[in-house]
Amino acid sequence: MSGWKVTTEIAKRDLLDLWRAKMLLVFFIMMPLLFMTMFGFIYPPTVQVNPYSGQIPSPYPNLELAIIQQDNGQVARNVEAQFIQIAESQGIFRVNEITDYATAKNGIVKGELSGIVVIPQGFSAAIQSDAQATIQVTVDQTNPTVAAAVQSEVAEIFGAIENQISTQYLQQNVDPKVDPTFVLQPISITNIPLIQGVPTSFEYLAPSFMALTVITGALNGVSTAISREKEQGTMDGLLVAPIPRQSVILGKIVAQTTRGLIQGFLILGLSMLLFGVVIYGSPITMVLVMVLGVASFIGVGIIVTSLAPEQETAQMMTTLLQFPMMFLSGILFPIDQLPVPVQYIGKAFPLYYAADALRKVVILNASVNILMPDLLVLLAYSVVTMAIAVPIFNRAMSR
Amino acid sequence: MSLQRAELPSALSEYAIETHGLTKKFGSFTAVDHIDLAVRRGEIYGFLGPNGAGKSTTIRMLCTLLKPSSGTAKVAEFDIETEANEVRKRIGLVSEKLIMYTRLTAEQNLMFFGKLYGIDNAELKAKVDELLDMVKLTPFKDRSVGGFSSGMRQRMNVIRALIHDPEVIFLDEPTTALDPQSTKFVRDTILDLKKGGHTIILTTHIMEEADELSDRISIVDHGKIMATGTVGGLKGEYGTESMLEVFLTVTGRELRDSASDRVSMKAVGRM
Repeated sequence: MSGWKVTTEIAKRDLLDLWRAKMLLVFFIMMPLLFMTMFGFIYPPTVQVNPYSGQIPSPYPNLELAIIQQDNGQVARNVEAQFIQIAESQGIFRVNEITDYATAKNGIVKGELSGIVVIPQGFSAAIQSDAQATIQVTVDQTNPTVAAAVQSEVAEIFGAIENQISTQYLQQNVDPKVDPTFVLQPISITNIPLIQGVPTSFEYLAPSFMALTVITGALNGVSTAISREKEQGTMDGLLVAPIPRQSVILGKIVAQTTRGLIQGFLILGLSMLLFGVVIYGSPITMVLVMVLGVASFIGVGIIVTSLAPEQETAQMMTTLLQFPMMFLSGILFPIDQLPVPVQYIGKAFPLYYAADALRKVVILNASVNILMPDLLVLLAYSVVTMAIAVPIFNRAMSR
Repeated sequence: MSLQRAELPSALSEYAIETHGLTKKFGSFTAVDHIDLAVRRGEIYGFLGPNGAGKSTTIRMLCTLLKPSSGTAKVAEFDIETEANEVRKRIGLVSEKLIMYTRLTAEQNLMFFGKLYGIDNAELKAKVDELLDMVKLTPFKDRSVGGFSSGMRQRMNVIRALIHDPEVIFLDEPTTALDPQSTKFVRDTILDLKKGGHTIILTTHIMEEADELSDRISIVDHGKIMATGTVGGLKGEYGTESMLEVFLTVTGRELRDSASDRVSMKAVGRM
């Protein structure tokens, strides 16, 4: 029987095994569903551009905010009303009008508020006398991410209000022929998007998760499948048959890659359906990237299964590899956010190149030519790891 | 079903298995130490020994699952190292472990293993039906093997090894933990296989089984062959009617659960 036929038979058997394990099959489908839904809530996908700033708002909508009006002037009351209107209509903040600072501060301490905006006494007078007025902002410093978002959103809203105040002033005090927008913002910036619509976290996360699922799935799958067969004794049944040793490993790789691809495309489908991700790239190029991604790291799985005395150790060894790979390879957040030395570690994992290439294909419809640097790195990893893994596996199977 | 093998050419050697100085070392531990075997075609050869004696290591070498450290061995006229694939085509292995995928049905398992031997699909299907019928498992052919009793599993294990009609069959403790009915069934099948012209290497800890089935017996201990002969010959030599007495006289009466025994079993993949 030819090597390829044997490989196909072994792969078919492994997939039949999954098909017959109904509960395993349910979890196999639920895993990407759970993964995507979970991250869907962490990174809310429904994003609208703030019409006042043209910016994408913070991923923390409807935060509780206190506003304290200490000035009784008409201007201050107008500014407060405008602030509340913008904040609430855009779902940025739920604004609570509070009379004193101490009560508002207690609200932050209790975790009921994420920030306080104070319009201090003298605000109206300053504006009316053409002087700069001040707004005071206090945020919950125990949560720096939310604090930064609150500060940025408050500044955005007041930026929009400032624009209106300045426009009014210019219209009243400068030659009416002068365009106020020229005085306020002589240079305007227009963003020309590479893709239609507004990019969300999911445009980043969906291809990353696809790469992660396919590569770690194959890594885990191959090492545990082989270790399990060694432990249960079925490996003897394969090795005592007149088939090439490599077909055993290839069959496992084909089966696990197929499983990984199914899960990868499930993730993509869910991202499209539930989180509005738009796919621009070719599915064939996606499959090419994912298959090369699997090939780049599967050798490591084979080495693990050859060295591990039993399935449990093999699982521990692959988990040890997966965690740094998941956090450092730019899957959950861009690698640029990491310190430079750590970035080098992240770039040492082939997952970084697979996820990078997949993002370019899925979202930017990159051609194989553009992806070539990533693909060549994956190919180099595949050749080197397989060249080490196959002799180790052969030796381990017939010590 | 007939277990009769096709007629073999008369020019073939008298022996189905021949080993010369077959040795296997795991680091500094010598599991098999210069074993010379000559198993005649068509005989049932009992290969006995206490735990850790080197039986399984020898069988795994003869089945091409382990590479010898030194020495040579031929199975069905082919060298186990240089012509491993030819050996594999001609041997069947029945181990105490279930070589079956428990989630797959009986039929799916047999079809899968049969395909590994390149048997044509239609021929394989007929063979699978025939073998299932032989071990009275036809009504269960669409059930998962995982739900089978130990007796049913071992019957499956036996027919899996027969799917490609091997010349030489290695039976490694085939009746361990079986009920008396299944034990009798497996033993009868072994005798039928012998009648059909198959050569059988049988390892067992059940002396009564070795006594009943074997034409000749070798007793191994510490990796070496300590005694070889026919059942009657060995009994005569050691002056007893009990095969158990022969075994205990050859291998000693002390318990075999020392650490070195466990190391050797782990090394050969039995633990």
